Formats: sequence, C-alpha cells, structure tokens
Amino acid sequence: MSLLPHLVNGLALGLLFALLALGFMLILGLMEQINLAHGSLFALGAYFAYAITAARLPLPPDWLEAWAQVPLGWRFTVAMFLAPVLVAPFGVVLERLMRRTYGRDPLYGLLLTFGAAMVIEELIRVVWGTRDYMLPVPRGISGGFVMLDLIWSTYRFWAAAFAVVAMALVWLVIERTRFGALVKAGAHDSEIVQALGHDLEKLRVWVFVMGTMMAAVAGVILAPVWGIRPHMGVDAVVPAFLIIVLGGVGSFWGAVLGGILVGVVVGLSGAYASEWSMLSMYLLLIGVVTFRARGLFGKKSVLEA
Amino acid sequence: MTKSRVTRRTALKAGLMGAAAAGTASFFGPWRHNRVWAQGKKPIKLGLTCDASGQYGNSGQDDMQGMRLAIDEFNAKGGVLGRKIEWITADTETNPATGTRVAERFIAQEQCGFLLGAVHSGVANAITQVASKYGTIYMNTNSSAPSESGANCSRIKFVWDGNGTNFSKAAVANAVQKIGKKWLLLTNDYVWGHTTSAATKTEVEKAGGHIVDNLLVPQNTRDFTAYLLKVQQIKPDVVAMAIGGDDIKALRQQIAELKLEDKAAWINNQQDWPDVWGVPETLFGVFGTNWYHKLPLPGVAEFVKRWQTAYPKSPIPVPGNVSYNGYMATRELLRVIEQTGSTNNIGIIKALEGRKMSAVDRMQAYDAYIHPVTHQVQQTIYLARRNPKPVDNTDLFQIVSAATPEQALDAASLTACKLKPYAEVPTYEQ
Repeated sequence: MSLLPHLVNGLALGLLFALLALGFMLILGLMEQINLAHGSLFALGAYFAYAITAARLPLPPDWLEAWAQVPLGWRFTVAMFLAPVLVAPFGVVLERLMRRTYGRDPLYGLLLTFGAAMVIEELIRVVWGTRDYMLPVPRGISGGFVMLDLIWSTYRFWAAAFAVVAMALVWLVIERTRFGALVKAGAHDSEIVQALGHDLEKLRVWVFVMGTMMAAVAGVILAPVWGIRPHMGVDAVVPAFLIIVLGGVGSFWGAVLGGILVGVVVGLSGAYASEWSMLSMYLLLIGVVTFRARGLFGKKSVLEA
Repeated sequence: MTKSRVTRRTALKAGLMGAAAAGTASFFGPWRHNRVWAQGKKPIKLGLTCDASGQYGNSGQDDMQGMRLAIDEFNAKGGVLGRKIEWITADTETNPATGTRVAERFIAQEQCGFLLGAVHSGVANAITQVASKYGTIYMNTNSSAPSESGANCSRIKFVWDGNGTNFSKAAVANAVQKIGKKWLLLTNDYVWGHTTSAATKTEVEKAGGHIVDNLLVPQNTRDFTAYLLKVQQIKPDVVAMAIGGDDIKALRQQIAELKLEDKAAWINNQQDWPDVWGVPETLFGVFGTNWYHKLPLPGVAEFVKRWQTAYPKSPIPVPGNVSYNGYMATRELLRVIEQTGSTNNIGIIKALEGRKMSAVDRMQAYDAYIHPVTHQVQQTIYLARRNPKPVDNTDLFQIVSAATPEQALDAASLTACKLKPYAEVPTYEQ
C-alpha cells in the first residue's frame, strides 16, 4: 500500500485544520483571550451559508423564488462572503461582553466564552432545529478526479487552496499593515499604545470581528465536508485549541504548521492504525509539549515579534 | 424564634455518619427491596430516555415521537387501568454517563415506573444497569448491538430493534455468493460497531468469504478520506459498514462526493431512517431495516396518517423505523399493563416474555414474538436499497427481501444471555 496518497491527504486535511485554527489564533494570540465560542461561530457560519445557498431565508416568497433560480455557483459564492458578514455582529457582542474580563484572571474570559458557546448552540437549535443539513456544492467543484491512481475529492482540494489564500491574507494583515502593527503593539503594551492616542477598544473589536469572520469562513468551507449539525461547533473547537497549543500560542506559523501536522498525523493513523486516528492528535500534542512546553513556535509568536 | 446554626464540623460529622449509615445499610442488605407506590388513580409515569443531542440526537427525537403517539392514543381512550399516562424526558446526549444520571433521576426522584428509549447501545447498557438496580422495566427501543440481548441482557430489559447479527444473517450469505468473497469492515469504535462487525465477520466466514481488514472508526469522525483511500487501495468486493448516526451521514456524503458507490458493494447492516432523511442522494448500497412507511401491508397507511396528524411540523415528515420501534415498544408495554391489570413489574415481565404479536398488528410481513431467553423482539428483517422509481420525495427505499424471525435469529445471544432469577429482581408497583 502506497504511503504517498495518505501524505497528500494529510496535507490537504491539515490546511483545512489550519484554517479552522486561524481565527482562534488571532483572538488568543493578539488579545490573550481563549474564545471557547469559536466553534459555535464556526457553526453559525455554516448555518448561514446553508440558509443563503438553499434559499431558506426570512424573505418574501417572490424574492426567495428569484434567488433560488440563481445558479448554485453564484449562491455558494455569495454565501461564502455574506455568511461571515452576518456572523460578525456576534463577535462584536461577544467582545463587548468580554471587556470586563480584560486584564483579569483568564478563567473569567474562559467561562464567559464557554457560556456564549452554549447560548449560540441553543440558538441554532431554536432557529434550525436538531436535524442535519447538507451544504450543496456547485457542480464545477464537486465530484472527484484521479491522481496517484486514486479518486480524490475536487472540492477538498479547492478548499485547501482557499485555506492557503486565506492564511496569506491574514499574514499580510498582521505583518504588513499598520493595523497589524498597532494590534501587536497593543497586545505587548496597551498603556503605551493608548498614550500614543490610539483607540485600543476599537482595535480589539476589529480583532474580534476578524477572528469571528475567520471562524465563519472555516464553517462555510468545511460544511460540505463535515455536514451541518448543531453540535458541529464542539467538534471544531477542540482541534482548533489543540492546534494553537501545539503550534505555540499567538504564533501564525505555529498555527499553520500545527494544523498541517495534525492533518498528516490524523490521515496516516486513519490509514495505518485506524483506532488511533482521533487519539493521535492528542498524543502528538503531549509529545510536543513534553519537550517544548510553549509549543513548536512559542518563542516567535506575533506577541513577541 | 429559634435559630439553628450548622457549623462546618457538624455538617461534616452528619455527612460522614450519613454516608457510613448508607454504606452499612447497603452492605447488610436487604438484597431484595420492595417499593410500593401510591395506589388509586395516580398517573402511570414513564421516563423517556431519548437523546436530543450528540451522534443520535435526531434519532432520539424521532424515537420519542413514536412513544408519544402511543401514549396519546392510550390517554385519548382514558389511559390505562383508569389512570392517565404521564411522561417526562431528558436529553441523554448520546452519552452513557448522562444516560446513567438521567435513569437514576427518573427512577429515584421522578418516580417513573418504566423507562423507554436509547439508540446508542452504550447509553442503553448504562440505563440497563441503573434500571436493574431498582427492578424498573426498561424498553430498549432502538439500540441494536447484539450484546444488548446477549451478554448485556437483563430480566428487566426488552429489546425492540433488530440487532447487528439479525441484519447480518439476512444480508451476508447472499452477498458473499452474489457479489464476492473479499470483505472489508468499517467499524464504529464502540459496543454496537464492534459487536455488529463481529457478527458480520462470523457470517462472512461461514458463507466462505474472508475479511481483508477491519478499520476502526472513532465516534464523531468527520473526515473519512483516510479510510476511503484505503478502501480504494485494497479494492474489496464488499465494504460492510457498521457506522451509525451522524457519522454514517458524513461517511455517505463523502463516498458519494468521491463517486465511490460503484467501486465496491456497500452494505450497511442497519440504516435508520433519520440518518437517511435530508441526504437521500447519498443513499446507495444494500441496507437493513425492520420497517418502512410504504410497506404494502394492512395498517401501514393509517399509522402513517395518524403519526402525521400528530406531528404536522415534524422535521421528518413520515415515521421511520426508529419512530416505529418507539411506538411499538410503548404500545405493547401499555397493553400488557392493561391486560395484567396491574403495574407490578414481575407480572408485567412475565407477560412480556414469549409474548406473541401478529404480523398485522405490527405492520410487518411475519408474526413476531419476544424471545423468553433474550428478551429481544424476534421480527421480520428487511433488506432494502435506494428506490429507483420513487412515487414521492419520501419514497427512498426499495424493499428487496424479507427474512423471517427464524432466519434472522441471533443464536449466539441465546447462550450469551443469562437472565437473573425473578427472586433477585426488586419488585415494585407504581
């Protein structure tokens, strides 16, 4: 049995994991807040995308009918951009709630976001019920293609390519813009940044909105792969957290490498020792933090850059 | 007015004494305890242990709709023994630990005389342990690990769904002869998956086939690519899946996405209706079920109509096998209470053991009965595949065969199941 297909699969899977972790990394790395509601925001992104793509919106019937006639590819594209915008206000509300926890014991933020996660999950149940949904994928990027003598999912490779583009954009914003520099400076020494006349509160809101929108984008991209269900947020937040710790809190490249490592390990264990496939990511984390408690890129985080 | 102040020391002492007393009491017995609840017109209370979240959240709610329909029908004609039937429910979260807590609360605090529910076999087993402690009758409506009526059977538990062995017996021998001998197993890594795959393996080998690999799939796996790549590399004749709930939905979606439906023959021992509804395009291969809402049998259409009238806004518009099992288990329990004229648990257990149920009454092809040795309902097992000519958007199955209860009998459970003598079961009357 050839190893190469499983390595390629692991890499593609890892890029999706990295995309999932990126929004989590932004908020944790730049604001030092563990946002346990990240998974629920991810789920909201998937649900909004479903509502937009499947034309199940609270709009007049004539409008919905007209929207349903629009080709699926366009509906999916609109969903990919609009769903994160619709989820963004949830991030603003969450940030407002979290203000009282800044500078205090991290446990307060943790508990608050945990509560928010439960509220959002219940909200999803109230609005969409408990049943599952499938996000339809446009014909052009669905189906399979043959590579290495095996059939592969076309959509999966599109999603991995999209993840690379999204990561590049986030990197540019953090590393190559004035906004990114201010946010990093604010995380390093908030008093100085405020003394220089910058509105730190506004900066924090923007970071939270960015992190929230990243979660929602990951939700839209992963929904056709994982399916849409109320507790999908819980399925997402655990690997996201694990990847951040593995890569090193606050490190952009740590999140990317952590995601890829987790993908490869899960992919290979799924093929060669299937009963270990879920456990493998936890073993990987234990292995890394035993020798390097700050994670793989702990030192070179954006916080300390 | 006197004020009493409880100091920390007093509370600790009281707690320790209480714990010691409780421990001593349970150490010295009584081994057999009796509960007699208030007589008269007190309602009969049922505890519905249904998942509302987790891998079997959808199925759990579908199960409950069947149960509630039966309860409502009895209440509409005055209840049972002149007593109204009340019910409570709580989310068992597809989690055995939660199942234990819910069962304990329902029996000890809520005074439920009977428990009904469970799709996940681990949850069912957890509820069984609690119910056995109190002697509370438990209708395991929808979990289908062979161990539920085998090694984990109980005098107080009755199993209503077909199990993995029943479905394997109905499907495997024919598939080995007609499709091929090289089989690959995909197994959900928990009790139902393991016991179902073990049953499939036995049947495959008995029919002259062989298992090339068994891939264990952890529960809540969302990405199956690694497994599907392996399927492509091994190129088996048949892939036998023992994957349930949300996991099978994700797996089916990914098989369909990769267009692997025709690369091997896919057999899913049992396909619950809530796992198919909403994703009909992923329905492929051959699968087992014990009921379908379009069976051309007397009573089916009327039952579907009653169910739809009761649930006009149900997320799934027709009753499936899960809802059917919930309905049948509840209806039969209430009938037996009525016929025995009492809520005495031992009397009800004896009336259920060996109970015969006609094919017409159960809306199945063959007569059914509750096996007195295993407490499992022996019933018709259908094999189905995707319907190529549906008459409406709910007509997803095409029934291809129907095995009799004898053909599908799980012989191993007859020796694996050891029921406690009646004398060791705590008695009660509600």
